[in-house]
Amino acid sequence: MKLGLYLHFPFCLSKCPYCDFNSYQLKEDNQITSYISALYQEINAYSQKLKKNNITTIYLGGGTPTILSGVQIYSILEFCRDKFNIDKNAEITIEANPGTLDSEKLKLIIESGINRLSLGAQSFNNVFLKILGRIHNTKSIIDSYFLAREIGFSNINIDIMFALPGQTSEDLQATLKKAISLKPDHLSLYNLTVKPGTEYYKKYKKGKLRLPNEDEEFEMYNWAMHFLKENNFEHYEIANFARSNKRSEHNLLYWQNKPYLGIGAGAFSFIRGYRYMNYENPVSYIKEIMKGKLPIDNGEKLSLRKRMIETIILGLRTKDGVGYKQFKTRFGVSLSDIFSETINKLVNLGLLQKDNYRIKLTKKGIFLANTVFREFVD
Amino acid sequence: MSKDYHCSIENIRNFSIIAHIDHGKSTIADRLLEFTGTISEREKREQILDDMDLEREKGITIKSKAVRLYYQSKDGKKYILNLIDTPGHVDFSYEVSRSLAACEGALLIVDASQGVQAQTIANINLALKSNLKIIPIINKIDLTSANPDRVIQEVKSISEIKEEEIILASAKEGIGTSDILEEIVNKIPPPKGNSNLPLRALIFDSVYNSYKGTIVYVKVVDGVIKPGMVIQTMSNNIKYEVVEIGIFRPKMQPIKKLTAGEVGYIIAGFKNIKDTQVGDTIIDASNPSQESLPGYKKVTPLVFCSIYPIDNKEYENLKIAIEKLKLNDSSLFSEAETSEALGFGFRCGFLGLLHMEIIQERLEREYDLGLIATTPSVMYQVTKKNGEKLKISNPSSFPSKNDIGKIEEPYVKVNIITPSKCVGGIMELVQVRRGSFKNMEYIDEKILRLDYELPLNEIILDFYDKLKSISSGYASLDYEIIGYQPSELEKVDILVNHQLVDALSFIVHKDKAYTRGRKIVEKLKEIIPRQMYEVPLQATIESKIIARETIKALKKDVTAKCYGGDITRKRKLLEKQKAGKKRMKKVGKVEIPQEAFLGILKI
Repeated sequence: MKLGLYLHFPFCLSKCPYCDFNSYQLKEDNQITSYISALYQEINAYSQKLKKNNITTIYLGGGTPTILSGVQIYSILEFCRDKFNIDKNAEITIEANPGTLDSEKLKLIIESGINRLSLGAQSFNNVFLKILGRIHNTKSIIDSYFLAREIGFSNINIDIMFALPGQTSEDLQATLKKAISLKPDHLSLYNLTVKPGTEYYKKYKKGKLRLPNEDEEFEMYNWAMHFLKENNFEHYEIANFARSNKRSEHNLLYWQNKPYLGIGAGAFSFIRGYRYMNYENPVSYIKEIMKGKLPIDNGEKLSLRKRMIETIILGLRTKDGVGYKQFKTRFGVSLSDIFSETINKLVNLGLLQKDNYRIKLTKKGIFLANTVFREFVD
Repeated sequence: MSKDYHCSIENIRNFSIIAHIDHGKSTIADRLLEFTGTISEREKREQILDDMDLEREKGITIKSKAVRLYYQSKDGKKYILNLIDTPGHVDFSYEVSRSLAACEGALLIVDASQGVQAQTIANINLALKSNLKIIPIINKIDLTSANPDRVIQEVKSISEIKEEEIILASAKEGIGTSDILEEIVNKIPPPKGNSNLPLRALIFDSVYNSYKGTIVYVKVVDGVIKPGMVIQTMSNNIKYEVVEIGIFRPKMQPIKKLTAGEVGYIIAGFKNIKDTQVGDTIIDASNPSQESLPGYKKVTPLVFCSIYPIDNKEYENLKIAIEKLKLNDSSLFSEAETSEALGFGFRCGFLGLLHMEIIQERLEREYDLGLIATTPSVMYQVTKKNGEKLKISNPSSFPSKNDIGKIEEPYVKVNIITPSKCVGGIMELVQVRRGSFKNMEYIDEKILRLDYELPLNEIILDFYDKLKSISSGYASLDYEIIGYQPSELEKVDILVNHQLVDALSFIVHKDKAYTRGRKIVEKLKEIIPRQMYEVPLQATIESKIIARETIKALKKDVTAKCYGGDITRKRKLLEKQKAGKKRMKKVGKVEIPQEAFLGILKI
């Protein structure tokens, strides 16, 4: 069975005020070394069980994985190859923060076998980078990008955020134009969402965060979709755009609801119908590992119906939609039998389109994806 | 527990405790119960447990409403004291008055730091109307903020009460309990009545118990009542055999007879709570007394609203739930009605806003019903041009403007006690609410009493909240109905997506119709979430549009990020949102949240 592998690195140089990911400001360097040895033990624990699985993609995410030294990154990949059965042509991605890259580190990264770089640029406007609490500026993004190209990265993604406090549609247009001028292979475009527990949330509750309204957000997203299409990007997932077959293979596994193993604090796994999550706090995570246990905090065995629903709402995120044949093969029942009423309703509302092979979102449906998904959930 | 005994009518004392909310009524009652051995310290704790065990036997909290205490006074005489409990909110002053009718005296409790409040005055007036002997008590003298001297002056200034009559007490510390009991036996007169005359017993309350049926609370004025006797009420001829009679100690305790002056309960296989109207007189069917006791005015609901199930399938359950509540609450009025927008439901009448909120909450909590309650309204009197007179409590049945000759609306006399520095704000509030000033009196140099007349319609929603906020919580309010006065009123209709939502119609003074209509469509625009298409909102009077807003179509409803672990959380969030949408009422194609029906008038 094919499997994706995710490795989580929960440390950052500083915590951004909008971020609700499982990440913590790094206090001292030995936090990293003890965390890495815990990762090794967790990988070890899965090594035997997953011997037969073929790992086709690896993703190093965070936090900031590039807060590690080049040697540390190299060693981890070497260890993974030793313990798992990794496909020769596996797509291996690392998330990188422009402020944490230098040529030596990038060389070791590429030598480790990592072949895809995801740059957390977020904006090409220094004012917004500051508002977002990023440690880098526009110049360091561009420098990092060209350095990576020079060293040999042939698959680079750039992350961009929009609907930022005080941002106008023109601001986003300028940022996207700059991003495109670098000719990245892939672009992820997220709207800022204010999540409980973040600094932004506190501000928002006090009424001190002036965010674009629904109409302005629509405007930005709509403009971006057209602009990126004109520039030969394929809009293959709600927030993701790729050039010339450079779709993110690893992320596609998620959207196809395929199995993956998550290693590290707070990482999720989805194997044999179980979805479970590791302890989020690195200290608890390490403690569990030291006790010789798998560091699983909680999980659930998904019922057939829940798996069907998740497969639909994830699949609809993509350009490919949900295929009748794939659905039938996977669940033994036909998509149109079980959800015919919902599908017809959504088709009539102009949110869903169906042909002989699949259902997928219409353009209007992309903007109202959650409205569509709510119709499918119980 | 003290030993039971009988005593002659001269040694019976029937009294109530009256107090403004939170002035310590129940703590005083607790002390009296403990002091007389009605409840021991040990039992007091146990009773809480009993409550839990006997929860299905709902009677328990109600049973303590009329408790018999045995008390031996300092001069050695033995007394029977009946403590008749009363509710403490202005909505229930009707119930207070009927409890007072079974008494000869009342303990008036005033908080030693808060002093005289609006309800204190209302309570004194009620007690005097019922010819009760008042025993004034200043409670909570142990508080550091207590100022008994000031409060004594306040009490003197609002009543004929003399300083030497006032007992200083702290129910919390048990100070003054013995003085209170001595005053009860020495100052309150015994009930007047004669056990040798034919039976006359006043019904002052009744409750429904699923095991025992209807239980009526009575005060025997003349004669004797025993199990086995055949009785009837003065107002109808249905005869019942008495199954059980008893007293509350505070649990129900059957006894052999109740004689003149005594207070207790009767169980007699009453089929329907309507057969035992509060205020009616119970008589001996074989030796009927010809003279009924002075009863009460029939209770009239003041505030009305419609209650609909969110899910139309729940109509039957709602119907059963309302009927059950009515068994224990004779003041709750209901009749079936149909709304074009909301389907089948009920028009309900309440004593006041608190009563309405309590009923709504009980329906939702105890019967697990999802409800939509429309904006409360009062009862209008409309005289049509053809002379026909209508009583209208529901805006949707308001006649067309052309047919209306005269409209009258109920007015109340409002009595506000407030620190003098808040008078400016209160005057402004009252003016906005179409009130007219009647009187102002100083209670002391810093506390004022203000009298106004206002339309009831203007105070039912948020007048009390506004008053509290203007006065930082210090002002208190009491009101009584004074009758109907002519008024220029109009009905405003609300259209959502061109469809009239009858449940949102309201009646308002013509000078306020435009502003109110405008504010409501603006508010609805905020409350109703964007739908798949544009939704126009209109306020109209007689089909003429007075205000319009548009809810834009939903444009963007998408979460950008969704990777590995996000999916479980995201699915759960979508499920939760979906459940939330189900709680909305679908009117035509538009989903309207519950709060739209009640919340919008609080503007």
